[in-house]
Amino acid sequence: MADLLTHVLVPFVLLTVASWRVDWLDRRWVVVGMGGGAIPDLVKVDLVLEADSVGAMLGVPLSYGSFSTLGGVLVVAALITLAFRRDHWRRVYGLLVAGGLSALVLDGLRVFADGHASAWLYPFTNWRPPTPSLYVSSDPTVLVVTLALAMVVLVADRYREPS
Amino acid sequence: MKVRYRAVVALLLLSVLGASFVHYEATEDQRWPYPDADELAADYDTYVGKQAFLFGEVTAVDADGAAFTIKVEATGEIITLSVNGSDADVERGGTVQVYGTLEPDRTVDAQVVRVVNASTGALLYKYGASLVGVLLFLVLFARYWRVDTGRWVLEARRDG
Repeated sequence: MADLLTHVLVPFVLLTVASWRVDWLDRRWVVVGMGGGAIPDLVKVDLVLEADSVGAMLGVPLSYGSFSTLGGVLVVAALITLAFRRDHWRRVYGLLVAGGLSALVLDGLRVFADGHASAWLYPFTNWRPPTPSLYVSSDPTVLVVTLALAMVVLVADRYREPS
Repeated sequence: MKVRYRAVVALLLLSVLGASFVHYEATEDQRWPYPDADELAADYDTYVGKQAFLFGEVTAVDADGAAFTIKVEATGEIITLSVNGSDADVERGGTVQVYGTLEPDRTVDAQVVRVVNASTGALLYKYGASLVGVLLFLVLFARYWRVDTGRWVLEARRDG
């Protein structure tokens, strides 16, 4: 997957541009969407709490892979939404899912030697969509391009403000 | 919604999430038609002639660069495989994806080799950038949102 900084910057770019059309979508809501972009990265929990060890302890094999899927994003987004005030729920959930989805789509474009991305539409389908294999996860170009886009959008957003 | 009810819903959602961890692992074969490292470690010979898609770290590269060795992590052990037929520019310590046919003697006849992390430095870069991402998000979030300790919910800051 792309790095987490890219994952939070992509929703920033998309939602900030969207905010030019949608009145209520101010910076605080954009930030919620950025958080959504980080949801699929929860799969990295494995670095501190290995799924194999936890599975061995519980006596049932498990994998955190579902974090990086549509199903995982829908469930984790719901959990996070619960922490917000009741009348924010609809917006928060929508933004978290949008952010998470952007990260999944971005990761779906990365290199897989057999030409198919991971089955990120799980649990709705086990199908692995074809990937154009645009980048490898450690390729700084992805981050540089995203950072540049974020800068452009940030500046454009500032200039828009007075109107 | 009262804290009590929210806690109940959260527990339900956590159970769904936990179930997905187990289900995801149990149904892995339906998404990944290739033998995994554990299966290869247990009985490599069964899979000779089959297609494999492996993620591994390069441990050695032949002098002419035509073949290299990777180590692949299985549960509790590490298996070593030779990779032939690749023209990819690999370096020791790098991480690669290998797609190819399993041959006898733990050798892979590669059709496609892609270098994922050219070296350990590439992995460090990725984690470094991710850490910056976490910090950036936390700073921004704290700037626009606060915890309403009366009702234990997240609330937008008025001055945000």
